[in-house]
Amino acid sequence: MGYVHDTNFSQWIPPTAFHPVTGTFTFTAGGVTDTISLHRAAANQTSVITIPIIVPSNSAVDVAGLPNKGALLKSIEVDYEITIAEPTSITWTLNKVKRGADGAVAVVSAITKTDTLAAAAAKTVDQHKQTITITTPAYVENDEYYLLQASIVAGAGGTVNDFLGAVANYTFKA
Amino acid sequence: MGMVHDTHMSQYIPPTLFHPVTGTWTHAAGQVAGTICRTVNDADQTSTINIPIVIPSNSAGLKGAYLKSVEIDFEITGAALTALAAIFNKVARGADTAVAVVAAQTFTYDSGHDAAEERVDVAQHKMTLTLDTPFWMDNDAYALIELTVDQAGDTGVIELLAAVANYDLRA
Repeated sequence: MGYVHDTNFSQWIPPTAFHPVTGTFTFTAGGVTDTISLHRAAANQTSVITIPIIVPSNSAVDVAGLPNKGALLKSIEVDYEITIAEPTSITWTLNKVKRGADGAVAVVSAITKTDTLAAAAAKTVDQHKQTITITTPAYVENDEYYLLQASIVAGAGGTVNDFLGAVANYTFKA
Repeated sequence: MGMVHDTHMSQYIPPTLFHPVTGTWTHAAGQVAGTICRTVNDADQTSTINIPIVIPSNSAGLKGAYLKSVEIDFEITGAALTALAAIFNKVARGADTAVAVVAAQTFTYDSGHDAAEERVDVAQHKMTLTLDTPFWMDNDAYALIELTVDQAGDTGVIELLAAVANYDLRA
């Protein structure tokens, strides 16, 4: 049957889909009226926020056995605010999770990527748009998914953060 | 305009979209570093977790997503659960002033989970629910997988990792 090959697809991922661990997190209004955020309260601790990349996947493969349809994941943008006290660091890690067969654990591999905001620029008290660009984009197979992890080392100032959302950019082929 | 008919589409549904009721549920790291899960406390309780099947729908007949099956990845740690069962519901949204209408769909568990004891043992699980009669998702409908997890009288805990919906895409 027919064919779609669109290189400009994007998917917004709301903060309600984010997965925070360690710290006090609440859903609050964003800094701009009528926006929403996942709010991290000030505390001197290390928090990990994982963003599940919710894009289509596909079980089709090419003659080499590699996935060649669905979403070719290229980059992820994360919108966030650091409102009070610059943290010690924010470190971004992009993982691909290969789902386990029944009875087997999943296998995680770190994906090589670049960040538009360097370490120092990404942690200033400001509005931020961090873009994570995958060095070698790949079609997402039906037995895998991607997780983008932000590890925030708060430091003595505690830091206060609001995560507004993320956008995954991909080529769609079906 | 062209036409797409792809029979290999899938959609990852993260545990953060799941809807747990009863029990104390938290976001936690999974058993494998770098993974995430929703997990419940160890208590004598029965929890209900609904998984919203977030796939495209369409107001035209025979278009959009033709839902065929849903896979659920979970871990049971500590001890076997007392019981775990699934219901595959299709919800027809109500018109204004009318309630929604829920219809249970018949489905088949995969061969590793079709016996009750296979769904509760301490292990990594990939449980597949295959619809006996797949359907096109209308814009006035959505699907929910309802898991009932009974921890009564044991020390087992479930950790929910992900779900994946498998469907045909036509547009």
